[in-house]
Amino acid sequence: MIGISKAFGAVQALDSVNLSVEAGTIHAIVGENGAGKTTLMNVLFGAYRPDSGEIRVQGREATFGSAGAASKAGIGMVSQHYGVIPALTCLENLVLGDERGQILDRRALKAKAQEIAGSMGFSFDWDEEASSLSPAGAQKLEILKLLWRDSRIMILDEPTAMLGPSDADSLFASMVSLVERGATVILVTHRLPEVMSYCKRATVMRGGGVVADVAVAETTSRELAQLIVGPNKHIMVDERVPTTSAGDPVLEMSHVTVRSGHEVPRLSDINLIVRAGEVVGVAGVDGNGQRELIEAIAGIEHSVSGSIRFRGADLARSATRDRLDSGISVIPENRHEEGVIESWSVEDNAALGVERVKPLSNGHWIDAKAKTTFAQAAANRFHTRHGGLRLPLASLSGGNQQRLIAGRALALNPKLLVAFQPARGLDLGGTADVYGAIRTQCREGMAALIVSFDLDELLEHCDRIVVLNHGVLAEPASAHSHDRQEIGRLMVAG
Amino acid sequence: MAKIILLAAGLGAFLVALLLFSKSDPIGAAKVLAQGSFGSESAINGTLRQTMPLLLAGLAVFLSLRAGLFNIGVEGQLVVGALAAAVIALKFPGPVGIVLAVVGSCAAGALWAVPAGIIRAYRNGHEVITTIMLNSVATFLTSYLVESPFKAPGQQEPTTTSLPASSQLPPLLTLGSLTVSTGLVLGIVMTVALFFWLRRSVSGFELQAAGANPRAALFAGVQPKRVIVRAMAASGAIAGFAGCMQVLCTEGRFYSGFSPGYGFDALGVALLAGGNALGVLPASLLFGALAKGGTALQIEGVPKGITTVILGLLIVVAAAFRYRTVKTVA
Repeated sequence: MIGISKAFGAVQALDSVNLSVEAGTIHAIVGENGAGKTTLMNVLFGAYRPDSGEIRVQGREATFGSAGAASKAGIGMVSQHYGVIPALTCLENLVLGDERGQILDRRALKAKAQEIAGSMGFSFDWDEEASSLSPAGAQKLEILKLLWRDSRIMILDEPTAMLGPSDADSLFASMVSLVERGATVILVTHRLPEVMSYCKRATVMRGGGVVADVAVAETTSRELAQLIVGPNKHIMVDERVPTTSAGDPVLEMSHVTVRSGHEVPRLSDINLIVRAGEVVGVAGVDGNGQRELIEAIAGIEHSVSGSIRFRGADLARSATRDRLDSGISVIPENRHEEGVIESWSVEDNAALGVERVKPLSNGHWIDAKAKTTFAQAAANRFHTRHGGLRLPLASLSGGNQQRLIAGRALALNPKLLVAFQPARGLDLGGTADVYGAIRTQCREGMAALIVSFDLDELLEHCDRIVVLNHGVLAEPASAHSHDRQEIGRLMVAG
Repeated sequence: MAKIILLAAGLGAFLVALLLFSKSDPIGAAKVLAQGSFGSESAINGTLRQTMPLLLAGLAVFLSLRAGLFNIGVEGQLVVGALAAAVIALKFPGPVGIVLAVVGSCAAGALWAVPAGIIRAYRNGHEVITTIMLNSVATFLTSYLVESPFKAPGQQEPTTTSLPASSQLPPLLTLGSLTVSTGLVLGIVMTVALFFWLRRSVSGFELQAAGANPRAALFAGVQPKRVIVRAMAASGAIAGFAGCMQVLCTEGRFYSGFSPGYGFDALGVALLAGGNALGVLPASLLFGALAKGGTALQIEGVPKGITTVILGLLIVVAAAFRYRTVKTVA
């Protein structure tokens, strides 16, 4: 890609970017949110037309007008938001858009699908609805979709954001085998360990341009991190400042069991105390009860037995609205479906969930001026880049939406923060900012319960880590409270 | 934007072609249409008379749309409300009867809408289907009721007795021979009130949140199921009120075939209004003018259906404009 430029309105997203990727390698693209990584990939994939510049594939000029054209030329992309349609079966998802004829010959398609999956060491129940897939399964299906289309150049945008460590490892193992068979993988990521272990070269982007293109073998993750944030910024690698000795219990869960209609309880007999001043991490592989835990505390899951107490008061009869209004702040798992309303303005999204409380309203009427002020503050807290508070939220990139959500959740001094990956999809600086703010507020008396599939993130930022495995909560002995091996063992113990 | 203008131009050309095809003179037809709807004081009176029920019913649909519901049952709710208003006003003549008729018609309209809301919220049965069913029930039930129990004595037609003058609402404003009905004024007031309620109130904010993304609303402490039932009740009440005003201000009675489809035209009014409650005002005036002007066209020999074609084309353009894709800026 030579001299690629692209502007959206007044924002210059890409400014004469050059990128060259060697065939048969895994090439990393790293950079902060808004550095232009995703835009560049969208240009390569044909989703956006560049304002200037040209693309060459194996020496031939190839600027694509559409994703379909790129796909024909052997370029495929798995985006941050998976493109799997839940209501279709795995097989239908796989062939969607490339059905090989007007009539679906399911038997032949299935045989072919089986063959491709087998070659990667994946197995799928092809007739099962895709809604039954775990995020890791969906991700694997997406990769098979690219193989189905004979893609030789695969773009993976943050493929491990939603995966547990073991799934991420197996994903990379499959990438390595793809590359060995001659494919080229372009990996957009925030996770430097992935770059260090699996990639040959890395291109660092900042502010819509390329700042460095380095051979991974000749650099260190520290150097890369410095390139990403820029020369004038310090990277926070200081040890965690221990929070003040933990105070009164803010959240007390005793014998909490959630069935929600399942034979095996989704959560069973959870006993957990989170005290003022502490950040408690919940580690575990996706689908082991994290979602139910958050929903039980938020009051969205109703089939809860046992007791949940918030600052001493039993929550059993308390509706979600009362819980939120009394100082519980929630960052849900699924940003698009649960955290925001994309068609609404940035301002209204900032107010969502706090519209009932001061200073935004008196409980009945919203104070327009206070709402704007609040939105401004929530957006500025973690430097959300936006084109105006009145524009729809959909005009913000995923990372910037997350910054707004984190700013909203931490505003108004909540007593308890229950968060699902509060820094999801954020770059190093943004992640440090969000966790820094959580820790600061905890020192002032907040309690935080943080769920993440990224164990390193929890190890780095939490005072204490508990593990969810098949709905059962376990805590490593205090001597091993930050022992990666021990926690990893608890995550997968049978 | 350019594409939308192109679309509008294309559809306009289609319209002209249609008129030419039916051997009518497009410019002449436009003149007749304008004359027939705004050309004289009596034409304006007619337009405003058509606008009133469209405005109120349009508000009913608009409110349901903000809550993520497509209340196609406004037609039935309006008819039920109208019958309730006529029956109550005949039973209790005078101002007391007017107040009771308003309350009763709102209650009747709400009652006709709530089942669809409950089925949607708690059984996930789509409101479009259930409200269409309830429309048929409303139409036939009210026809039956004015054919026997509530039929005016000595009348051939299936109709109630005409209301005494003391039970009818006189025009609120008269300027020369120009009259503005009480219902229209109340409709304008309600539009402005709805606009502010949606924009400024906590409950309006939450209703729209539940409509735009029920799951996100749930995490924000809203109970979308309750919102659905309440929004259907409110939408039905406004539709019932529209029927009431039509009886008290315009018709003075209820009869079989009372509504020529105000509830259905209201769908177009609300869609054309877009996301802003104030948009219901010009949209209903436009529909009202076309309804009135269409009659004039018919007299000139142009098929009346052309006004429906115009409305359909307008909605297509409005939809193209409204559902543009959002570009990422940051």
